[in-house]
Amino acid sequence: MRVAFVGKGGAGKSVIAGAFCRLLARSSDRPVVAIDSDSMPGLAFSLGVPSTDTMLPPEIVEQVGPDSEREFVLRDGLTALQAVERYAAESADGVRLLQFGKLRGHVRAAGPSQQAFRVVVDGLRGADCHLIGDLPGGTRQPFFGWASFADIIIVVAEATPSSMLAARRLARLARPGGPAEHQRIVAVVNKAVDPADSEHVARFTKLRVVGVVPADPAVWAAERAGVALIDAAPASPAVKAITSLVESIVVEAP
Amino acid sequence: MKIAVVGKGGSGKTTTSAILARTLARSGRHVVALDCDTNPNLGLSLGLGMEATEGLISLRDSVGDDVEHARTWESIVARFGADAPDGVRLAIVSKIEDPDFGCP
Repeated sequence: MRVAFVGKGGAGKSVIAGAFCRLLARSSDRPVVAIDSDSMPGLAFSLGVPSTDTMLPPEIVEQVGPDSEREFVLRDGLTALQAVERYAAESADGVRLLQFGKLRGHVRAAGPSQQAFRVVVDGLRGADCHLIGDLPGGTRQPFFGWASFADIIIVVAEATPSSMLAARRLARLARPGGPAEHQRIVAVVNKAVDPADSEHVARFTKLRVVGVVPADPAVWAAERAGVALIDAAPASPAVKAITSLVESIVVEAP
Repeated sequence: MKIAVVGKGGSGKTTTSAILARTLARSGRHVVALDCDTNPNLGLSLGLGMEATEGLISLRDSVGDDVEHARTWESIVARFGADAPDGVRLAIVSKIEDPDFGCP
């Protein structure tokens, strides 16, 4: 299945996506590939990958065609899944992390690796693996190409006006024309403190709420320590809620 | 004086900007608050309310492709901005309406 996490900055996309990937990897035979399309590191921490700099080596792609209409393809004989298995960083539970790449000084410096990222992600379209994407915060290029082939878009929202407003904008952006008809757009309420939060988000965004992750001090503690929530507090209420989320998404996915 | 507030998502840029803007305005300065986020929520933090924040037209959309007859920034902010508490004038720069807009 292919799942994209979107939402306002700070809503908790990376924390939820990281634990989601790890839990999915434990319960599934297929490889799980986590895609971090954000140029700021977030998913590496929440997956527990030691390095936050895990870009693909640029040599795995080659340019075809003249410079004016250049295109990049995977090097001869290499499939996208092989490239991931060979070159992508690996977390505990065997999740592979693909990172779009940091912006270092000048954007162009990271260019070749970012081409490799695009080619590999595009090549994973038909591969037999789970693709879980953590998309940049807010509504700036929220769908970033690849999410157009996600089966499920999960909008992470807190029950605050700014977070729900962002969620509603994202839901609106996701609908017209963009994603295919089979796509499902659903909401996960994060940092819930009140039983009414879920209904509040559902009413405001008009999205179906498929999970409620409570406000949990274990999440703050893990973030402050820079470690994965699932390693720091495996029995925490937040991890329990994300476990239920994985179970319900697995059932829903086509 | 021009102040830009940047940082990671969720770290408190919008809240900090709003308090800065209102505090400066209270001390008698003329303040224009520009929301440069494509997910513009500065209006909420300034105390403008949800409907007024959602109703704002972005400056980029207001100018459109009419670069020949571009107006002054003062006239654009006067026409398309909104008055927030303490006399802060708020305007938003761009809003994304297209899911795969632009390059990363």
